[in-house]
Amino acid sequence: MATQHSRAAARFMIAPSVVLLLAWMLIPLGMTIYFSFLRYNLLMPGANPFVGWENYSYFLTDPAFQTAIVNTLLLVGGVLVITIAGGIALAVLLDQPMWGTGIVRIMVISPFFVMPTVSALVWKNMFMNPVNGLFAYLADVIGVQPYDFLTQAPLASIIGIVSWQWLPFATLILLTAMQSLDSEQLEAAEMDGASAWSRFYHIKLPHLARAITVVVLIQTIFLLSIFAEILVTTNGGPGTASTNLTYLVYAESLLRFDVGTGSAGGVVAIILANIVAIFLMRMIGKNLDA
Amino acid sequence: MGRITLEKVRKSFGETQVIPPLDLTIEDGEFVVFVGPSGCGKSTLLRLIAGLEDVSGGEIRIDGRPATDLPPAKRGLAMVFQSYALYPHMTVRKNIAFPLKMAGMSEDEKKSRVERAADVLNLTDFLDRRPGQLSGGQRQRVAIGRAIVREPAAFLFDEPLSNLDAALRVGMRLEISELHERLKTTMIYVTHDQVEAMTMADKIVVLRKGNIEQVGSPLDLYRNPRNRFVAEFIGSPKMNIVEGAEAGRHDAHAIGIRPEHIDVGEGPWEGKVGVSEHLGSDTFFHVHETGLADVLTVRAPGEVNHRAGDKIRLSPQLDKLHRFDRDGLRIT
Ligand SMILES: Nc1ncnc2c1ncn2[C@@H]1O[C@H](COP(=O)(O)OP(=O)(O)O)[C@@H](O)[C@H]1O
Ligand SMILES: [Mg+2]
Repeated sequence: MATQHSRAAARFMIAPSVVLLLAWMLIPLGMTIYFSFLRYNLLMPGANPFVGWENYSYFLTDPAFQTAIVNTLLLVGGVLVITIAGGIALAVLLDQPMWGTGIVRIMVISPFFVMPTVSALVWKNMFMNPVNGLFAYLADVIGVQPYDFLTQAPLASIIGIVSWQWLPFATLILLTAMQSLDSEQLEAAEMDGASAWSRFYHIKLPHLARAITVVVLIQTIFLLSIFAEILVTTNGGPGTASTNLTYLVYAESLLRFDVGTGSAGGVVAIILANIVAIFLMRMIGKNLDA
Repeated sequence: MGRITLEKVRKSFGETQVIPPLDLTIEDGEFVVFVGPSGCGKSTLLRLIAGLEDVSGGEIRIDGRPATDLPPAKRGLAMVFQSYALYPHMTVRKNIAFPLKMAGMSEDEKKSRVERAADVLNLTDFLDRRPGQLSGGQRQRVAIGRAIVREPAAFLFDEPLSNLDAALRVGMRLEISELHERLKTTMIYVTHDQVEAMTMADKIVVLRKGNIEQVGSPLDLYRNPRNRFVAEFIGSPKMNIVEGAEAGRHDAHAIGIRPEHIDVGEGPWEGKVGVSEHLGSDTFFHVHETGLADVLTVRAPGEVNHRAGDKIRLSPQLDKLHRFDRDGLRIT
C-alpha cells in the first residue's frame, strides 16, 4: 500500500468492519458502566435510581473482594508456574527422538479438547471425591485417610484442575519453539564441552524465552476469567475460599440478583485485568521485540 | 599436536552406506581440504571425526590415542559450522567465552583469552554486540574465535564460506590461510568448491560417493590426476575430454586437455568460436564444431578478440595431455 490514494481506499474499505467491531465491544461495555451507577436489584423491581459510586464502594469494601483478589492472583500465578515448568519439561522430553512420540504427543495434547465443565466434573467426581474418587481409593490401598481435596484445599485443587487443562497449550507452544532450535547450535555447544544440563540452561532455555512470554501473556488473559471450574467444583467455597473475581461478580449479580453491584464488580475486574496486562507487557513484553 | 588417523572408518544411515571403509592420515599441522560434489559425504566424514556422528565401524585415533568412543568435547577438536551456529542471545564476548566457561576457566584467564582472540580476528570493537547485529563475515570470525580460544588439537571447518558473497569469500579464505600460518594447528576444511581447495590446502582429499578418489597436494592433483573424475573436478574451467578417434590416436579411450594447455593460432584442430568470456587477464573461448567434443574450452592469455562464428585453429600441448583408459584411470 504505497500511495496515499490506495491507503485512503484501504481505510474506507475496512471502515465497516471496524465500526461493527467497535459497536460489538463498546455497547456491552457502555451498558455495564451504565448499570454500575444504578441501584438495580432484580428482587426489587421498579425504579432504578442513579446512585453514583455507591455500588463501587459496596463492592470494594466487601471482605470477599480482598479474598477474591488474592485468590485470583494465586490461581493465575499457580497455574502459570505449573504449566510453564511442566510445559518445558514435557517439551524437552517430547523433543527427544523416541518410539511412539506421535501417540504420546496426541495424549499430551488431548486435555485441551475437553470442555472445562466436563473436565472439572471428571476431576471432582472421579478423582477427588473423598468416597468414590480414584485418589480416595489409592489412599485406601496404601492405608491412609482419604483427603477431601475440594473441601480442605479448594483453591489448590482448582489450580491443579486448571493446570491440567492448560498444560497441553503450554507444551504445544514450547515444543514448537523447541523444534525450531537450530540443531547446529546444540552441536556447537556439545563441541564446546557443554553438558546436557548446560545445553538446556544456556541454549534451549534462552531460545524458549519468547515462547514462554507468549504462553504467559495468553494464559494470563484466560486465567483471569476462570469461572466454569469453580462453579462446577466448589461454588466458590467453602465460604469464599475459592472465589475469584469473576466468580464474585457472578455471585453478586446472579446469586444476590444485584445487577448494579455486579456491574461495578465487572468494571473493577476490567480495570484490574488491564493493570495486570500493562504490568506484564512492561515486564516481559520486551522479549517479543525482534 | 593434532595427528588424526582413520582406519577402515565406515558410516551407514540405516541401509544406505554413505562412507565405505576408508583409511586416511592427517599429519600434525596440515591444512587438509575434503573436496567433492554435494552429497558425497564430506560433512558426514567431518562429523565422524568431530564425534557428532557415531562410526558404523573402524577406528579414529587422535595423536595415537583411540578416540572412536570419545564424546565430541573430549576429542580436543573445535568446529566451525556452515550456519556459524552462534548463540543468538549471547554477546560476541560471551559466545567466544562459552567453551572456556564450560571448561570452568577463571574470569581473568577467560578475559585475556577472549581479548587475544578478538584481537587476532579484528573483533575487538564488536565484543558487546549480539550475533544478529553483525555482518556475515563478522559472524564467521566470531565462530572462528569461539574455536580458537579453546586451543584445540585441530580445527574442523564445514563449508564455512558458502554463506558469504564472492568478495568476502576471497578475503576470508586468505584470513583462514593466514590463521593457519600463525597457529600451525591442524585444520580440516570441507568444501565443494575446488578453487577453495586449490588455494588453501596443503593436502587435498577428493571424495566421490564417500570414496577417496585421490589424496595429494593441489599441484599434484592438477598435474597427475589419478582418474577422469579428479581430472575434471580439479581445475577451472573444467578439463576438456575427447573420446573416439582422436583419443585412439593417442592409444587411449579418452584424452583430457586443460583449457590453458591449448594454444590458439596454428594447429591440427579447427573449430568455430561460440561464446567468449573476457576476463581481461585471460580470454576463454567456447569452440564448437571441432569434430572432437561438443564444445572445447580454450584459454588464451590476455585480450584476444574472436567474434562468434569465427573459425580458429587450435593446438594442444602434447606434453600436458592426459590419457585415460576405459575405466577412467589415467594411463601413465
Ligand atoms: N542423518 C542422516 N540420515 C540419513 N542420511 C543422511 C544423514 N546425513 C547425511 N545423509 C546422507 O549422506 C549423504 C552425504 O551427506 P553429506 O555428508 O551431508 O554430504 P556433503 O556434505 O558432501 O554434501 C547424502 O546422500 C545424505 O543424504
Ligand atoms: Mg555438507
